[in-house]
Amino acid sequence: MSADPIDAGSLAEELDNLERRQLERTWQYASGLWGWVAEVDHQRIGVRYIVTALIFFALGGIEALMIRVQLAKPENGFLNPDLYNQVFTTHGTTMMFLFAVPVMLGLGVYLVPLMVGTRNLAFPRLNAYSYYVYLIGGLFLYAGFFLKAGPDAGWFSYVPLSGPAFSPGKRVDIWCQMVTFTEISSMAVAVNLITTAFKQRAPGMSLNRIPIYVWAMVVTSFMVIFAMPAVALASQMLPLDRLIDTHFFNPAEGGDALLWQHLFWFFGHPEVYIIFIPATGIVSTILAPFTRREVFGYLALILSLVATGFIGFGLWVHHMFATGLPQLGQSFFTAASIMIAVPSGIQMFCWIATLWGGRLRFQPPLLYVLGFILTFMIGGLTGVMLAAVPLDLQVHDTFFVVAHFHYVLIGGAVFPLLGGLYYWFPKMTGRMPSRKLGHLSFWLVFLGFQVTFFPQHILGLQGMPRRVYTYLPETGWGDLNLLSTVGAFILGLGVLVYVINLVASRVAGAPAGDDPWESDTLEWATSSPPPPYNFHPMPTVSHRAPLWHRSEDQPVITGLRSDRREFLMTGLMDAEPDHRQVSPGPTMMPFFLSIGTGITFILGIFTPWALPIGAVPVAASLIGWFWPRGDQGHKILKEKS
Amino acid sequence: MRQRPVIDVSGLPTTAFGHRDPLWWGVVGIMCIEGTMFAIMAASYFYLRGGAQLWPPPGTLHPGIGITTLNLLILLASIYPMHQAAQAAEREDLPAIRRWLIVATVLIVAFLIVRFLILNRLTFRWDSHAYGSLVWLTAGLHTLHVITGIIENLLFITLLTKGPVEDKHMDDLRLNSMYWYFVVACWVPFYCIFFLDPRLLHASIG
Repeated sequence: MSADPIDAGSLAEELDNLERRQLERTWQYASGLWGWVAEVDHQRIGVRYIVTALIFFALGGIEALMIRVQLAKPENGFLNPDLYNQVFTTHGTTMMFLFAVPVMLGLGVYLVPLMVGTRNLAFPRLNAYSYYVYLIGGLFLYAGFFLKAGPDAGWFSYVPLSGPAFSPGKRVDIWCQMVTFTEISSMAVAVNLITTAFKQRAPGMSLNRIPIYVWAMVVTSFMVIFAMPAVALASQMLPLDRLIDTHFFNPAEGGDALLWQHLFWFFGHPEVYIIFIPATGIVSTILAPFTRREVFGYLALILSLVATGFIGFGLWVHHMFATGLPQLGQSFFTAASIMIAVPSGIQMFCWIATLWGGRLRFQPPLLYVLGFILTFMIGGLTGVMLAAVPLDLQVHDTFFVVAHFHYVLIGGAVFPLLGGLYYWFPKMTGRMPSRKLGHLSFWLVFLGFQVTFFPQHILGLQGMPRRVYTYLPETGWGDLNLLSTVGAFILGLGVLVYVINLVASRVAGAPAGDDPWESDTLEWATSSPPPPYNFHPMPTVSHRAPLWHRSEDQPVITGLRSDRREFLMTGLMDAEPDHRQVSPGPTMMPFFLSIGTGITFILGIFTPWALPIGAVPVAASLIGWFWPRGDQGHKILKEKS
Repeated sequence: MRQRPVIDVSGLPTTAFGHRDPLWWGVVGIMCIEGTMFAIMAASYFYLRGGAQLWPPPGTLHPGIGITTLNLLILLASIYPMHQAAQAAEREDLPAIRRWLIVATVLIVAFLIVRFLILNRLTFRWDSHAYGSLVWLTAGLHTLHVITGIIENLLFITLLTKGPVEDKHMDDLRLNSMYWYFVVACWVPFYCIFFLDPRLLHASIG
């Protein structure tokens, strides 16, 4: 015994291993089926969000191909008019409500805690609830679709078409409640992300050191909080009109059909930015490691995000130019719609400046960013065109609009998303995706996209209206439509290759290591995939690009207990350590609450009694949720006698 | 091995009040979401009113300026015991919290009873016209919040009676009061919109 001198270094190492094992036990994932349902970990739920959203993306994509097959030649009989209506409505609804918003928020659920250097979201149980409510909404829509009750009034379900007089049956009600489910889910995620980003940042991560992606998610979350209540309310008013004869949208009894359009677009336009802003955050994040320099113009980028968030609320009426507006209203909303190009332009120049001075690595994530810049620019330019009332009135409801919004939504959001998922795939799985398949899928997606949607600009200018199930040969639209259909299949093939790449690499990819891209943000400071407790030891930050500026004596956090799920709360402005909180472990209550929510809204399309009936399980699971369990180490208070 | 500098946080507290507590941000988030919903109800009201020939529709009678104002006063009065309960929570004075919560709950239940009396006196239903739809949906939404508030108070009273009460609950109680002020504040503009409408004031049933 006396032969070994006491080695302080190995003793510290031993203690560290002990603590790590204790952390493993405290934070371990729940096992079994019940454990799967009761899971509250943000990584697990974030990945579930992403996978679920990608499945809906695939379904929406199949519907898109069905639309393209139907339109490939004049007077085609592949889909009958009724089925065509259901397919294009379900396509739009799926892509907007079940794919685009959830996948962006789900990626935020996965990344925000890792990027700010904490162990879980602020409200882990709320996060589980959000996911289940979203899942119920999606399953409900598709249950309706396969029972021949797919919604058929378009993704914005204008009244009076969607009202009781012209849409009997339950199709529109299913659409409405699906919207309600997804909005509840998104609003809950938004509150969660804001709280996490504001209160749980690693010490030293002051406001001016928050990663741009996290800023983007914060701005997005604020937009969700103020935009989505409009449609969540409207999606109750419409079923009420249909079920218990209220008259919100009935002009004969003092209602107004245009009220629906205002309520819908007050949500619907910010919605576009709710999808687009996270994508810009992804772009800014990817650019740094693939140009090997910090992104140019941090402050300008953040201020542009915030400006977009505000201006995004001031232009919803440009969707309603054709409804007859006072001239001042037209001018105002034209000006606002053109104004929003300014912050987008600033971001664009910052990205170009970053590329200009960088040493580029042409790997798939960067290719998607470059594809994004080109495609989004075209979509942005047609957006500026559409902001002008005379042009808008000419091409309103034509394929020109269809081309425009696919350029901004696929080019502006899906390209960065595909790049981002490729970029973070090693972090999520610990394995590298295949670069060869990555390149192949990018070129198929990029070229397929242009071939599909560029001709639609021309078709729109030639007068082809959207949402018609077929057209006559004499119109001369057949050739361009066939070209567009061919492009759609190339695009579909590209997505298929992308998915095959991810699935195959998940199983057999090369091990990734902690930081395969030599990135600058905190999520790369931990293992791939990260342990359930995310970090050990807890990091501190002294620079905007923490991994590129780690000092020799970078302090770490100690003193968080590892025998319970503890994490550090920090100050809003400068992220100075403030107090410790205990995070709840796995629980079934969020799942039960989502079932109660589901019963309320699904039964609600048949009877108003759904509210009192559904209130019982909702109240019961909420009480179970909040009832003190006494296991969080809080001080018990006694009555002073 | 080089010793790394550390920030030891083991001495930090495990509870915090006000905006230092994450739950405060959660509650503020909910208030923003629901406040937006109520604001949109008001916006819808004025949008429909702006486009209407006659508003409120002919034959609509005021349910009574006396009873509606009385009920507003009851609602406003409930703020005082809720505030006292929050103050007592700051002092960790459990009996006082319970006492003030009971007073508040009695007032809120009284408000709810009078609210049902008022709804009973309305001369229109939700399916009479768009005006009726708006009044009933707004009142319904708000009543739902009031009922939730009552249930929350009852749960806290039960917890305070049966225990175990943790120090963390003191902040929950303060947030419960904060949320209640919000529920009260939401109704004030609608009292003005619905019951101080000059076109209704001269046509009262009471």
